[in-house]
Amino acid sequence: MSAAGTSSADQLAARQQRTAQVRRFMRRREPPLVIVTLLVFGVTTLLKPGFGASNNVSFMLATAMPLAVLAVGQTVVCLVRGIDLSVAPVLGIAAVSTGFLAQDHGDSVWSMIPLAIGIGIGLGFVNGLFITYARIPPIIATLGTYTVYSGVQQLICNSATVVTLPTQYEAVGIHDFIAPIPWLVIPGIVVTVVMALILRRTKWGRSLYAFGNNADASYRAGIRVNFVQLSAYTVCGTLAGLGGLVYLCKYTSAGYVSGEDISIQLQSIACVLIGGTTLTGGKGGVVGSFIAAIFLTVVLEAVIVLKINFDWENAVVGVLLLAAILVDAYQNRQGASMRYSLGRMFLSRPTARTGATS
Amino acid sequence: MSPTAARARDERTLHGDLGDRSGTAAVRYEARNIAKAFGGARALSGVSVTFEPGEIHTLVGENGAGKSTLLKIMAGIDQPDVGELVLGGEISRSLTPRSAQLQGIYLVPQEPSLMGELSSLENLFVGIIPRGHLPFSVDWKEMERSAGAYFQQVGLHIDPWTPASQLSIAEQQLLECARALTHRCNVIFFDEPTSPLTARDAEILFELMGRLRERKFTIAFISHRLEEVLAISDRITVLRDSRVVAEFDDPKKTSREQLVEAMVGHEIAVRQRRNRDLSSAETVLELENLSAPDGTFTEISLKVRRGEVLGLAGLVGSGRTETAESVFGLRRATGTVLLAGRPYVHRKPATSIAAGLIYLPEDRGRNGVFAEVEVARNITAAIVPHLPKRGLLLSQRAEQAVAGGAAQRTRVVTPSLGAPIKALSGGNQQRAMFSRWLLADPKVAIFDEPTRGVDVGAKADIYGIIDAISDSGVAVLMISSELEELVLVCDRVLAIYEGHIVGEIAGDDITLERLGAMIVGGSQK
Repeated sequence: MSAAGTSSADQLAARQQRTAQVRRFMRRREPPLVIVTLLVFGVTTLLKPGFGASNNVSFMLATAMPLAVLAVGQTVVCLVRGIDLSVAPVLGIAAVSTGFLAQDHGDSVWSMIPLAIGIGIGLGFVNGLFITYARIPPIIATLGTYTVYSGVQQLICNSATVVTLPTQYEAVGIHDFIAPIPWLVIPGIVVTVVMALILRRTKWGRSLYAFGNNADASYRAGIRVNFVQLSAYTVCGTLAGLGGLVYLCKYTSAGYVSGEDISIQLQSIACVLIGGTTLTGGKGGVVGSFIAAIFLTVVLEAVIVLKINFDWENAVVGVLLLAAILVDAYQNRQGASMRYSLGRMFLSRPTARTGATS
Repeated sequence: MSPTAARARDERTLHGDLGDRSGTAAVRYEARNIAKAFGGARALSGVSVTFEPGEIHTLVGENGAGKSTLLKIMAGIDQPDVGELVLGGEISRSLTPRSAQLQGIYLVPQEPSLMGELSSLENLFVGIIPRGHLPFSVDWKEMERSAGAYFQQVGLHIDPWTPASQLSIAEQQLLECARALTHRCNVIFFDEPTSPLTARDAEILFELMGRLRERKFTIAFISHRLEEVLAISDRITVLRDSRVVAEFDDPKKTSREQLVEAMVGHEIAVRQRRNRDLSSAETVLELENLSAPDGTFTEISLKVRRGEVLGLAGLVGSGRTETAESVFGLRRATGTVLLAGRPYVHRKPATSIAAGLIYLPEDRGRNGVFAEVEVARNITAAIVPHLPKRGLLLSQRAEQAVAGGAAQRTRVVTPSLGAPIKALSGGNQQRAMFSRWLLADPKVAIFDEPTRGVDVGAKADIYGIIDAISDSGVAVLMISSELEELVLVCDRVLAIYEGHIVGEIAGDDITLERLGAMIVGGSQK
């Protein structure tokens, strides 16, 4: 092949690669989700101008953060074809344990981080053991531990609630870092960014995707599959524990209903699905879940300010969940025909073969 | 109720809404000028094919040529964009799988699609389960009684209560055929039914197809195995690039080369087997009395030399895959494995890969690809720990370069390295799997059915890859059901039968005839 021919073939290949990249970006869940969130926000602000006020934005972002942190963890287990129903009481146990300590001894928020994380690691590790080594299906194992952990949370509370916390907690939970961004957004963003990098660009993260797609093939490719699964649940628990501390700062109280009161396990799963991660594993990412947590919170707040009966909350979450599943199903159908078209495209244009020009 | 009356009633309940087509005039099924595009890409353009009763009409073509799409459209699974389907002189409009079946059209898919946990009986009658005396009840007795006749017609000898998942692939295929008969179908499409079958099981299927032909069934057949195509067909239509490019009315007078030329559009160089003297090369992999605890293979001993391609011939279920899996560390076995002269114990995939022993599994979909993951990351999956890093994170650019280089060596055709691998054709997925395992820098490579489900062009490339890596000193153990490729590629072949090694041939002694006799346990003399 002549030099000119080679370069035009290269250009063609480059152009096709760019088109494919653009198409893949448009097929991601994050861009449309951001747009829809802004739309809901904009429309509600038009109807009720107070909705767009700085303090309300700050309030909504802070409200979204416990959910966001848990949704990131939930995403990790969903990537390995799992699910964690026990995140609410893990959050609850972390919140009441740290809360009572802070109430009684006045410990700072920072000194509580290791405890919250430690509780999460322990409880998540137990989930992982049941699922990885006892080979109990995740939904059953975590339903079991959910019940046990809820009981533990009640035992810790012993019908008391955390009500008076050092002022630092309120400062972190309610005040802004820069208006309208509350301090609480920082742990949310840090967790999301770090986890996104870990998932995409470390051996462990890659193992999660491989395992979620095809457990047998990942074992054959030399991946330590038990470790991958066990660690995924541990990470989810860890983030649920951290979420407990975020919850404590946000609400400056905690009791035996903490976690349950905001039905966080259901909402975290909803965020995973709305954010574009599939429950069948190996596809998706944490950024979508983070955005979905904000989206969900904005929608629920909009429902309140528009004076739609608050009893609609659960129904709204459900409807959004179903919508996400429908979009998923639609994209999968598209994907099926995509697969064929891409194959066809290259069979009919042999110049685009990698290696054909060499 | 007299037995005859009872039978008449059963006949009504069983086939009440199907009418009675058994013994009726055979029917011609015609596709006229069919066009179909998937998301902008043509799958079929202006394809007209007529399937005559009493004929086995075979469609051949490379993967993606449009064969399966045509049959899917004719069976109501996909809808054509343009064109019409004419069944027995009448135009069929907006066919659905159900309406197609009601009109007597049945598609036997490549992989049997039965309901695994249900009994063979229920699978046989699904959709037309006979009613009992009470509303919503099921007439199990009637099902059991009439099932026998259908099983007999297709030559299936099973307990009707066996769950479908416990049947062998061949039995499942025959059960699909029996289902076509219970549904009173007289147009039967076979989409690559033989690709998961051994030669012997395929033979059973061909006998059945022959019997159906005599009964004036209208039969369409798709296969990549050209020998069987030439042997069984009454008419062959070649598709290439979404069009019909050739039709052969008399397969008896058609050569394999003519078919291949029509399929690929140019002549493929006929491969010659290579004769190399490797007797002085050192042994890299050695098995001594390897036995499975469950007896799937017994006292397997073999040696593979540096640069040698050793074939392992045998039927599906002969223990060849299980042997390979034990060596790679996926199953327990007693006996010794020596890698470069040193015993290799506590075998696990991760350890094997690190020691330079790799295993390309036979079932790419189930044990190989990560469907949703990008092509690049599929290719690097086995060497992630060794990828270049920037700080704590993997360097994406370096990884792209590694994957791109590997993809180029095995000639993977992909829209981009970032596309999910499920977007690729079977042949290209297989090339990507080769890239993955070659990147692991093997000293010993086990390839299990390396050309399963890939088209002619990809096959030639894969043989080229195997030649190249064996020339570079890799010891290759190649398992295959396709005797022809063993003849073409291997320096030496061992035959395995019911878990035992039953013979060995080398060099020019490797012929189809001798291999064929050896894998069914025949003497090697």
